[in-house]
Amino acid sequence: MTAIELHGVTKQFADVTAVDDLDLAVEEGEIYGFLGPNGAGKSTTINMVLDLVRPTTGNVTVLGRDATADSVEIRRRTGVLPEGFSVYNRLSGRKHVEFAIESKGIDAEPETLLERVGLSAEAWDRKAGGYSKGMCQRLALAMALAGEPELLILDEPSSGLDPAGAKEMREIVRAEADRGATVFFSSHVLGQVEAVCDRVGILRDGELVAEDSIEGLRDAVGGEETLDIETAGVDEDALESVRALDGVSQVVRVEGSDRIRVNCANDVKTRVIATLEDAGVGVSDFHTEEASLEDLFLAYTEGDSASPRVGDDDEETAGGPADGDDAEEADGTDETDPTATAEEVDR
Amino acid sequence: MSLPAVAKKDLQDTVRSRAMVVLVVLFSALVSVMAYAVRPAGEGQGFETEILLSFFVGPILVTTLVPLVAVVIGYNAVSGERESGSLKLLLSLPHSRADVVFGKVIGRAAALSLAIAVGFLVPAVVLIAIPVAFNPGAFLGYTVFAMILGCVFVSIAVGCSAAASTQRQALIGGIGIYFVFVLLWGTLTGQLLGAFESVIDPLPVSLIQVQTFLEVANPNTGIQELANAFLADQLFAGETRNQQISASAMLVFWALAPPLVGLLKFDRDDL
Repeated sequence: MTAIELHGVTKQFADVTAVDDLDLAVEEGEIYGFLGPNGAGKSTTINMVLDLVRPTTGNVTVLGRDATADSVEIRRRTGVLPEGFSVYNRLSGRKHVEFAIESKGIDAEPETLLERVGLSAEAWDRKAGGYSKGMCQRLALAMALAGEPELLILDEPSSGLDPAGAKEMREIVRAEADRGATVFFSSHVLGQVEAVCDRVGILRDGELVAEDSIEGLRDAVGGEETLDIETAGVDEDALESVRALDGVSQVVRVEGSDRIRVNCANDVKTRVIATLEDAGVGVSDFHTEEASLEDLFLAYTEGDSASPRVGDDDEETAGGPADGDDAEEADGTDETDPTATAEEVDR
Repeated sequence: MSLPAVAKKDLQDTVRSRAMVVLVVLFSALVSVMAYAVRPAGEGQGFETEILLSFFVGPILVTTLVPLVAVVIGYNAVSGERESGSLKLLLSLPHSRADVVFGKVIGRAAALSLAIAVGFLVPAVVLIAIPVAFNPGAFLGYTVFAMILGCVFVSIAVGCSAAASTQRQALIGGIGIYFVFVLLWGTLTGQLLGAFESVIDPLPVSLIQVQTFLEVANPNTGIQELANAFLADQLFAGETRNQQISASAMLVFWALAPPLVGLLKFDRDDL
């Protein structure tokens, strides 16, 4: 069964088309990253899945049920971390989680959930109005995780979290997937997506412009990597054994030196090095050159006009503008966050 | 399952609001002061709880302040959450939009009832302390009528809040409710009657009957009608029996219709 299925879904707001004839299928058990710059229509799509917004045309099916008619039943089986939400300022964190437990009609310990999302115990009984953005994000995640939902829908989950918090978020996402849950999350930050997703879809101006695994996308953009290896001396046999590896397309020895250049897929880099070492070749240094994920992302979302930018940071976590205004979101004029992740050149 | 959860959460949230506390204290103080001020100078003869309530506290305080407090705590019930974004958190849980609207009506009505009970507590103490013929039964009964009035106005205000797309619309709606029901009802219905006189004339009802109906159709007048009948030991009896029945029916109408109409709009909206 597919966990989330959209068929020819269009959402027209007064003067903009936020989502345009979108087909999307999220398989049960997978982690699906929903990517796109701010304003691409990600939140509108998620809001249609949650029945906060109704499609102008098309069908949305969640867990085999109609998103509008069976919305309550769907949400009973789904954990949701919304985007651009606010907490109840006058209620404590504990009260929030208790409310979620009561609403879902389940039996769970609020403390266990609060602990799991890393909200410190001294904050549990404080009014949530005094929480930071990151704490609110953790609190809403605790509410979403209550009751071991079959499906988790996380809209920009890392916004407001620091790098450590974003890492914890990814670990929770992975743990939930291991438990058997389907995870659908949106992001405009590539680093988060690459690290956890089985599959990603890239949305641009309300249309899905790409859908594949990260490796698949990289290949599609011609983003094969080049591994530049400095050896202590290499022979033809060793090169042959590298050529024989799956995912290696080209192996060249740089004229007049012991350096070799290997064109290969991202995930065979370590095998290339290991194969060389097994063949008795001393590897003194190596680095990779690749189309960074940032370039990849821009190639899809901004076409050829994009000027590649290289970020200097592994995690982008400050979060983009968290406005939930669909009309504004839909106009697509927001720029991609310039601090978004680029893959590191050295590994 | 879902409705009580929303109502309970909303009650907890509302009783923690500072505006609520301030209004309760103000209301309580005013009733106490009034009870003390209109106490008889000399002999306590003829001054009874019933008179205090039906001539002073009722018309001057309850019918003006209770609707005000109800509108203040009700007008932003749904629209406020919509604007702040906490509605997204609420609807991320398995609640229908009907659960949201009616949960809020119940939660806030409960909060207001609690506030009214507390608000009448201090004046009761004052009445016991000053030497008047204090009738606890009448006082308690009157408190219940004040609560009913509060709940009806909460319903109207929450219904309006559910229909509003923005907090601004909801505020205008709230002010409108107060003006229409509390300040301008007589004028408006008078105008209406004048305009439709020729329409009503051929109908088998007299102008007076229509006028009386319009009067008790206002929850404010209706509750006074009922409360006064109660204080006079004439509840659903005596000359005004039919008026009292109309008034009761209209109170039920106002408690149900506005949230339903509000829900109709809220249910169709993109949030």
